[in-house]
Amino acid sequence: MRWRGVDLITAAMLAVAFGVMFWGFDTLIYPFLSVLTAGFPPLGELMLGIWLIPAVVGALVVRRPGAAVFTELVAANVELFLGNKWGAAVLLSGVLQGLGVELALALFRHRRFGVAVAVLGGVLSAVFEIVFFEWQSYVADYSSAWKVIYLGCGMVSGAVVTGVGGLLLVRALARSGALNAFPPGQEIRESHPA
Amino acid sequence: MSRIPPETMAPTGVPAAGVAGGPTPVEQGAHVEVRDLTWRPFGRREPVLVGISLHLEAGSRVLLAGPSGSGKSTLLRALAGVLTATETGELSGSVLIDGSRSTGSSVGLLLQDPADALVAGRVGRDVAFGPESFGMPRDQIWSRVRSALVSVGFPYDQDHATSALSGGETQRLALAGVLALTPRLVLLDEPTSMLDPSSAAVVRQAIMSAVRASGATLVLVEHQLSDWVDEVDRLVVLDSTGRVSADGPVAATLATQADSLAAQGVWVPGVPAPGLLGVAGALCAPTLPGGHGGSSGSVLVWADSVSVTRRARASVMSANRPPRQVQALQDVCAEVRAGECVAVIGPSGAGKSTLTALLAGVDAPTRGRVRGRGELLVGMGASPPDAIHRWASGALAARFGWVPQQAEQAVVAATVRDDVLSTSRRLGRDDDAAQARVDGLLEVLGLSAVADADPHSLSGGELRRFALAGAIAHGPSVLVLDEPSVGQDRLTWSAVAGVVAAARDAGVGVVLATHDPLLIALADRRITLAAGRIIGPVAEQRPPGRLPTMPAPAGRFAGLAGRSGPLSLLVACIVLVCGAPFISDLRTALIACGIEIAVAPIVLGFARPPWRRLLPALFAVASVSFSNWLLSPGRELSAGGLAGLRVAFFVVPGVLLASRIDPSELGDHLGQRLGLPARPVVAAAAALYRFEGLGEHWDQLARIRRVRGLGPGRSPLGRIRSVVALTLGLLIETLRQAGRMAVAMEARGFSAAVTSATPRTWAEPAPWRPGDSLMLVLALLVAAMPLVLSQV
Repeated sequence: MRWRGVDLITAAMLAVAFGVMFWGFDTLIYPFLSVLTAGFPPLGELMLGIWLIPAVVGALVVRRPGAAVFTELVAANVELFLGNKWGAAVLLSGVLQGLGVELALALFRHRRFGVAVAVLGGVLSAVFEIVFFEWQSYVADYSSAWKVIYLGCGMVSGAVVTGVGGLLLVRALARSGALNAFPPGQEIRESHPA
Repeated sequence: MSRIPPETMAPTGVPAAGVAGGPTPVEQGAHVEVRDLTWRPFGRREPVLVGISLHLEAGSRVLLAGPSGSGKSTLLRALAGVLTATETGELSGSVLIDGSRSTGSSVGLLLQDPADALVAGRVGRDVAFGPESFGMPRDQIWSRVRSALVSVGFPYDQDHATSALSGGETQRLALAGVLALTPRLVLLDEPTSMLDPSSAAVVRQAIMSAVRASGATLVLVEHQLSDWVDEVDRLVVLDSTGRVSADGPVAATLATQADSLAAQGVWVPGVPAPGLLGVAGALCAPTLPGGHGGSSGSVLVWADSVSVTRRARASVMSANRPPRQVQALQDVCAEVRAGECVAVIGPSGAGKSTLTALLAGVDAPTRGRVRGRGELLVGMGASPPDAIHRWASGALAARFGWVPQQAEQAVVAATVRDDVLSTSRRLGRDDDAAQARVDGLLEVLGLSAVADADPHSLSGGELRRFALAGAIAHGPSVLVLDEPSVGQDRLTWSAVAGVVAAARDAGVGVVLATHDPLLIALADRRITLAAGRIIGPVAEQRPPGRLPTMPAPAGRFAGLAGRSGPLSLLVACIVLVCGAPFISDLRTALIACGIEIAVAPIVLGFARPPWRRLLPALFAVASVSFSNWLLSPGRELSAGGLAGLRVAFFVVPGVLLASRIDPSELGDHLGQRLGLPARPVVAAAAALYRFEGLGEHWDQLARIRRVRGLGPGRSPLGRIRSVVALTLGLLIETLRQAGRMAVAMEARGFSAAVTSATPRTWAEPAPWRPGDSLMLVLALLVAAMPLVLSQV
């Protein structure tokens, strides 16, 4: 299971591409959505899943232990160097989010890469991020009930946006032929012989 | 013949140290033996290379030629041993370099696009990548870097930014990166095809003097043979089926087989320029509702004294760099007339692509205006927007066709035919007529065989013709092409030029940005640019001038953070994050944040805080305060304030300190001080340099979709669909780029340390200075404050 050079470079480049899109999202769309959810902040957590996508996509493309943490951490570094709103805390978030996905893959012993593992990965990623970090920092003074609701919103987002969305993205990329050097691309080719 | 036994070169892989100040001679060029090499990538029915057998003497200089798509680039990758680094397929036969399969640092490969090889922000560090990967000691690395840069005649010092180089300079930098490993086999893929004649001559000279001095074996792919025949001693020609069709001494082979080679499409020197392929006017005619385009000679597009100033975009590197502004175009007037072909010419970096993008309506000028006129406005409604860059996607697409310089960016669909059809379909044209026109164009441009293939699987020359087909299939009145003839053989050139001429004759206004003298000769009129301005009517080539750059603000006292390395800054940020949860009451929060404000001048100096960078953080603090007040038990104001200050405690200093961290320095520190595995750190650092490039790519994809009629429109659903398409497009291009980067980086030894016992070295040290210790102690003290205060 040694990483090939192309695995590392591809995971890092995917992370940077997500960094580009996050930057656009952060500056153009997120402020608008935050104002919309200001009246009921936990709703904002329904967007959490967007930031967890690199972890799931990296893991499903490269399929090696560590891919989720590596991809999410590089994406977090892009945000850090661009100047984001949470400072260096994004690195901590990146590691936690990646670890959630790693745990999901490990539970499936790195043998399954379908919808179940993607959704579980997204959910665990959200749980790690919220329970180990956000409860301590951003929402520390919520009442317990609100903390649980907040967690629930994050988990739904992790399941739908990160899990299902990330998997659909990887499948679309595989169909385009851009993942031919990776297992998802090879599986597509084997199911539709030329 | 003395062969070096494989076991003497495999273990270290490090050739002898170079001599400063000049190219390093190698003892002998490599001897290459290719036996019955066949390669079929998965997903292709026919193999790309068939039964290739070659025997290259040590020190020979070989020119590899052949028609577009004949597998020349693939053969080079096979010789470099990186064919399977990113692609999968059936490979048989063998490639032996000096009798050995392992190539190590003995082979240097330069890819078609030198930008794919860039791995660092500064010139010296980029050249050092190969020597670092093969584990050379630091002093030897820098002597290698110096001699490699000297040998290609590089005009700037080692600290020059790689992002500020012209095309020719980037090509020479990439060449230096290859030569720094003193390879005994040098493989070059079209090293001068994208350059203007004078830059090309400089690069050619650099290549030949470096290769001659080192005695390395050279294999070079080029379409234009005439500039190279005197420099090489052997010619190998691949035919369109991927087989060797001619092989022998250059002069003799050209003399005896000139006609058959020219018939295959090889640009044989001395053979008269190819004629234009006769193309039916109906395939290229405008289909505007107003009838058959404009009356010949009437002005369709008019650029009125336009200027373009480029500002550096948001960058992961921007923190430590002054903002750069470049005047790409200044007070340029230009017209496009119906039935006329105008060539935009001038040296690399003169603003040709900028001007053509304006004339195609895909880019907006900073000053001045580009307007549509006359027949072009028929069917636009009562008062169309004055400037064409404001036109709706559909209106623009119906009237304009555009091929960008990087033709691979033009892909908008999954197969060649669907892609070329997409604009006609979007504009609601009659499908049968559109299909017939597309099939005719694909036939003329030699793309019928790949009509159902994925556009991304096409060769460089094929991609350009494909993009041309996509730009003209729906019948625009204005056709704007950026370097349409690059990578074309004689036959495909004649098809491209034939389409251009047929379009012009059918009443289309054609704009070409090109270096190709044959294509320039075809034009009715020329616009010659130099350094962003129009110069006299006579074509004149001169070395690319520096564009004016605006001065940067002077630096001020940078505080303790200015004397700290990236690692202590990063650790300081993280320590503060860890201290924040101990802030449990408002008094602690106020004191802790007060201490931070008190020490801020010591740490950050007296410079004005970068408010723009802080704005998102302050917004975040406000929103945390609000939500914690709203959802706290009993809605207490103090709960909101406490939560906000707790976040501010680590977010504000974190943002300010992180802005002082240089990503590449951080990579050096992570690798050397923390001993993190080198490859992930190096891959991440190389990828971070691509941030700006990927951002520009996103913009370019958006331009393509707009001019192809696939723009977002006004409806929210359309916008979402457009963002999804752009996201997918960006990720696909990212993966392709990562694949090419991987090939370039592996060819420079990226994974060498995995297979050999020599670990990677680092060209620059990662010092830990007193300032770092001080920074760390200070951060620990501040972070411990909440814990201490909560005990008293």
